[in-house]
Amino acid sequence: MDSAPRCQDDAVIASPGDHAVVSRLQSMAYERMIPLNVSLELTLKCNIRCLHCYNFDRDTAGPVCGDAVSTSAPELELPEVLRVMDELRAAGCLFLSLTGGEVLTYPHLFAVLDRAREINLAVQLLSNGTMLRPGVAARLGGYRNLLGVSISLYGATAEVHDGITQVRGSWRRTLDGAERLRAQGVAVRLKLIVMRPNAHEVAAMRALADRRGFPYMLDLTITSRHDGTDGSLAMRVDPEQLDALYRGPLGDLIPSGGRPVSEAAFPCNCARGNCAISSRGEVYPCVSVPWSAGNVRKQPFIDIWRGSPVFERIRGLRIADYPSCAPCPDKGYCSRDRGAAYNASGSYTGIDPFVCSAAGLARKIGEARATTGR
Amino acid sequence: MTFKRDPGLPYQKLDEETIVVDPRSREVHLLNETAARVWELLASPRSLDELAAALGEEYDAPQSELRAGVDEVIGGFRDKGLLDPGGQPVRG
Repeated sequence: MDSAPRCQDDAVIASPGDHAVVSRLQSMAYERMIPLNVSLELTLKCNIRCLHCYNFDRDTAGPVCGDAVSTSAPELELPEVLRVMDELRAAGCLFLSLTGGEVLTYPHLFAVLDRAREINLAVQLLSNGTMLRPGVAARLGGYRNLLGVSISLYGATAEVHDGITQVRGSWRRTLDGAERLRAQGVAVRLKLIVMRPNAHEVAAMRALADRRGFPYMLDLTITSRHDGTDGSLAMRVDPEQLDALYRGPLGDLIPSGGRPVSEAAFPCNCARGNCAISSRGEVYPCVSVPWSAGNVRKQPFIDIWRGSPVFERIRGLRIADYPSCAPCPDKGYCSRDRGAAYNASGSYTGIDPFVCSAAGLARKIGEARATTGR
Repeated sequence: MTFKRDPGLPYQKLDEETIVVDPRSREVHLLNETAARVWELLASPRSLDELAAALGEEYDAPQSELRAGVDEVIGGFRDKGLLDPGGQPVRG
């Protein structure tokens, strides 16, 4: 492949001049199956209660729970996390994403960052931004190996954003945190999650990011939760909203004429150049696919990476193994989100009907645009 | 004077080459085989002569040529901000 497919969350560095070099490295990892990009979930604890959270239902009063495999196991202790980081580096990891829950609630975050610096890992954080107080921002600014921080934003107004996080004041704190971090020289990118309660503000959200000079990515992916509940799906945009978005403020997301699709495989970096590790040590093909390939508490990471039947299965998949996707005429417009498919169907090669209908709509609009030139 | 690479910079070997990622400058540097070997040697402080001598054990080239090559590589690293800013004084 000329350029290995990567999840959007990996792309904090995006300098045009470096694109060819990074692409070459990513392609090498994809071809040789080197876990260049790893997402490490440090904790499921969070200080806000987003309605769309894919971890678990944040309105439950029960104990912190996570993936379906080990809901009662304790989170990894710091020595375990540091050992896993050493193993990841030895296996070829360069880009480490630290996530949660809210990663800044993790009490040993700076010990983790110190280790990442010692072993020359490039780190990025995925955060809600609300805990970026001046001292924290200043301290993060001291890490030369910090690629950047991706901060999630759910509205152009406090009313909408705080309604989603269910924490008053979170919008203001998120934006203040983003500004503070940037002032410390850390790259900040906003992640604008588009959902039912904020669909009417999408244009305003983009304008806000532009006005404040923050690069951003857009994401419409809302899946059912890893604890098996699906109340989060109520936050997805409905079909009418999606139609209006694709014909309006998100029209630029639709590739005119569609993307080329290889008939050999659905390119995906899961289990090839990418994987994820949960806060309880489960190794997944990707952060959004809670299909356990093994647990680092029971086996060295490299043994799981090289020998897991789950990873072997994924690496051997060809387009014909996706029974609904293979014949689908909308392939060139589809996000092919494996996390959405897995969470909706229970199968890595299954489908999420929402993703399918979004692809159909995108093709309809994209082909009309290609025909009319508008 | 001795030189050392910035210990905080992420990097990854890519066959005989090495990629160094500098989040602060938003740049990614691709080091050729020689520069990659120098980068490896700079994990600890070394003078230009020590670097040239180390390369001399691996490459069949005149010492003067190796010294000039090392000089150029170090100059490039310095210009790109890849060296440890806390350089060490000349040993007596």
